Amino acid sequence: MADGEGGWRSYEVYQRVRPAETLPQFKPRRLTSRELLDDPYPVLAMLREHTPCYRDWPGNAFWVTRYDDVTSVFVDDANYETRSKRWPYGLEGWGHDLGNEPEVVACIAARLDAAAEPVARQIVGSFAADGRVDLAVELAARYPLELLINVLDLSADDGAEFATRYLTMQRGSGWDPVGREAGLVAMEELAAMFERLLASRASDGGDDLVTVVARHGATGCDLVATLLEGDHETLHGGLANLWFLLSAHPDQLDVVRSDRRLVKFAYLETLRHSAPVPSADRFCRHEVERFGRLLPDGALVRCSAAAANRDPRVFADPDAFIIGRKDLCQREPRGSYRADGLPSGISFGTGPPSRHPAEPEDRPRSRYAITRDLTVIASEVVLDELPAIRLADGAEPRLRSLRLGELHTCWSLPVLW
Amino acid sequence: MTLTCPFRELLAPAVGLDDDRVAGKPDFPLMPVGQAVDMGHSRDGTPLVDPRIFDSAEFARNPYPYYRILRDHHPVFHDALHNCYWVTRYDDVTACYLDEEGFNTIPKGMSSGVLGNTQLELSGIEHRRRRNVYGRHLVGKALDRRMPIIERLAAEMIGGWMDGTAPEGSVVVDESTGERSVELGRAFANEFPIRVVGQVLGFPDDARADFFYWYSSMMNGLGGSDTAHVGVEARQHLEDFVEALVAERRAHPIYLYDEAGDPIGRDIISELCLATVDGDQLSTEEVTSNIALVVGGGGETTRGAILNLWYLLLQHPEQYAAVLADDALWDAAFHEMLRVASSIGGQPRHNTWDLELHGVRVPAGSLMHMVDFSANHDDRVFADPERFDIFRPNLYTGKIIRSGVRKDGRASHLAFGVGPHLCPGAWISHQETVIGARVLAQAVDHIRIDVERMPKDIDGTSLAPIGLGAIRTLWLRIGARG
Repeated sequence: MADGEGGWRSYEVYQRVRPAETLPQFKPRRLTSRELLDDPYPVLAMLREHTPCYRDWPGNAFWVTRYDDVTSVFVDDANYETRSKRWPYGLEGWGHDLGNEPEVVACIAARLDAAAEPVARQIVGSFAADGRVDLAVELAARYPLELLINVLDLSADDGAEFATRYLTMQRGSGWDPVGREAGLVAMEELAAMFERLLASRASDGGDDLVTVVARHGATGCDLVATLLEGDHETLHGGLANLWFLLSAHPDQLDVVRSDRRLVKFAYLETLRHSAPVPSADRFCRHEVERFGRLLPDGALVRCSAAAANRDPRVFADPDAFIIGRKDLCQREPRGSYRADGLPSGISFGTGPPSRHPAEPEDRPRSRYAITRDLTVIASEVVLDELPAIRLADGAEPRLRSLRLGELHTCWSLPVLW
Repeated sequence: MTLTCPFRELLAPAVGLDDDRVAGKPDFPLMPVGQAVDMGHSRDGTPLVDPRIFDSAEFARNPYPYYRILRDHHPVFHDALHNCYWVTRYDDVTACYLDEEGFNTIPKGMSSGVLGNTQLELSGIEHRRRRNVYGRHLVGKALDRRMPIIERLAAEMIGGWMDGTAPEGSVVVDESTGERSVELGRAFANEFPIRVVGQVLGFPDDARADFFYWYSSMMNGLGGSDTAHVGVEARQHLEDFVEALVAERRAHPIYLYDEAGDPIGRDIISELCLATVDGDQLSTEEVTSNIALVVGGGGETTRGAILNLWYLLLQHPEQYAAVLADDALWDAAFHEMLRVASSIGGQPRHNTWDLELHGVRVPAGSLMHMVDFSANHDDRVFADPERFDIFRPNLYTGKIIRSGVRKDGRASHLAFGVGPHLCPGAWISHQETVIGARVLAQAVDHIRIDVERMPKDIDGTSLAPIGLGAIRTLWLRIGARG
């Protein structure tokens, strides 16, 4: 809102489009087309190189696509806000997100650390004996859910129901009203299930998430809200994309096989090269002039990690998948996007890479570190258990989003070993 | 490990792995007019709206059943795909238009990219000062003095149908019957409004050739459409032409005179050049932006009004007969046409503050589309809204109301908007359309739609519906008045 009497603008910032600024060959509908679901990179490269802050009128958004611009938005909480996933549900006041409560953070981290390797070994051990499995489904999609079930300490029956409802709920926070209806039902069912568990565990001495929040007097709604606002997608998508890229580059797979230290680097390069969460939305807290444009109060700024991670101003030969790339930060750049003078890949739509930038010593590990380690552990288990793993003959895996705004990942990756 | 194999059976339905319906842009089937595609229901039976429908061909030709669903079940619809809210009921739309502080015009709104900074994006005193620079030339006595010129222009153009001076291909003579087929767009409606606008602006006659290109391209380029660059180029072309004109008028303002030789006033370009706002002269950029707005707004909308009026009226011959019998009914026909099918669908607004409307919470600064198309078809105000009826008792058809929307127990349509941003060209557009219609009706006999030459609906026989906006072409069959 501009200052001034009556609350209306008392100045103007001129913003007419000039012929040289338009992209005659670019149709705005490409941003909602199947092309964007399958391979967004050519479209995004066009925006990044020609209109770094593209005004998408049909989608009522400003697309920001250059690395420095995207990161500048992500770290700028004063000017941009993130909206809750409960907002598209119309449930802003519904339940309390406990995701940043210290006990909850500690509980999740401890349970995940303990469960990561055993769960990964169990999953890989359960693969059919015929030496063939769909790694995208049976490992990448499954692993985060098994971990969540472990964190919540659910029975087999509850676990299966939880998994379906959880996925339905996450999907319902998108733009599709049919999915939203299904998501609302799933949330109510989850809340009822958790109410039952919370009542029975309130006096337990357990260390699972349900018991921990029960001790805080949380309701089923609170736990559902916490899970909704959380994110399994980078874990799922990162793991699937990592193995998609490794199977597409057998030489790189050999390198990783011979030096396990490189699994982490392969993962970091995966997040840069094929960001599973292609973009994250921010909203202007007030009118702000950035990127040569006036962004009005409330404007949607769509930060494209996919475009920024392939920005040739920052990464040399950005379309190449190079494990251990010299121009990519190889550790957690706490509190910013650069460390050691190097840029990190942008992968987490949740803000700065770490919510806990430095001291104190006993700070909980960041989501960045937890997610990275979970992926690396699972990948190491695969290399241990299936040393001869390779892409199935004739398989042509690809990355795609199932719907606009959803995970860009590999949904089918048949492998042999 | 908890989940038993195979995991894919659990995953696929929950994430829509095999659901092709949701990927990309779907092809919604074309429905009979008045029926909506089934887009799903909530648990309590409320019909859902798939926001991709707004981009579909189906919606462009058959929007009203969807607006009805929105009005009845989602009066404030959060469209997360287009990041906006659709406000569709008459009372809500008018209340928002009249609340200038709570619902701000959008800085850098849909039109400014092409047209430039115009009063569409201004509010409050800033808006009023600029609007008044030329708004007063389009109403009242100034307008009355222009009427004979408007009438002469109409008579000249319609006369051309008979003497062979109409644009090539727009008039076809049937040798066997002596009847003519006339494409009303090319033969009249495309050019008539902008000849009036050109006259009002004080454009030299030699600019006429480019007028249609300017306004149709600019209007097609609004809202970041696929043809946005065409609009931007046309805007630049207009500017290149106008810039020299503006420089000249700053030095030598031109006065317009009516046929009797009495001064009407300065032309609008001269007015804009000489006007001061807050002690400042308008910049050339601001002048050309306002010219672009007048060219775009004065051309495209009135063109659509003329075509839609004849399309609707001739599909209701008994109402046309009534109009012929009573000249005063042209005004009612004009307003009812705008209620049924106006050229402009609505205006965007930003809500200044967080608000809750019909149970929907809208964060401050959200894009809220005020859907005039829907409000005009709201059966809370207009009974049986899809029917074209110039005798409608609930529609106000009198002198345009400058503030408010109701008078004499009747409600006004919203085709010209409401409140402070009420179209300044409403009065002149009304006169153009009605005078043109009177001249046409008097000039020809036995006028009807040339059904053979017109686009058909999905059944292949009935005439295509108007849908959103205005029809593009209208072939009429006429007998010359002997």
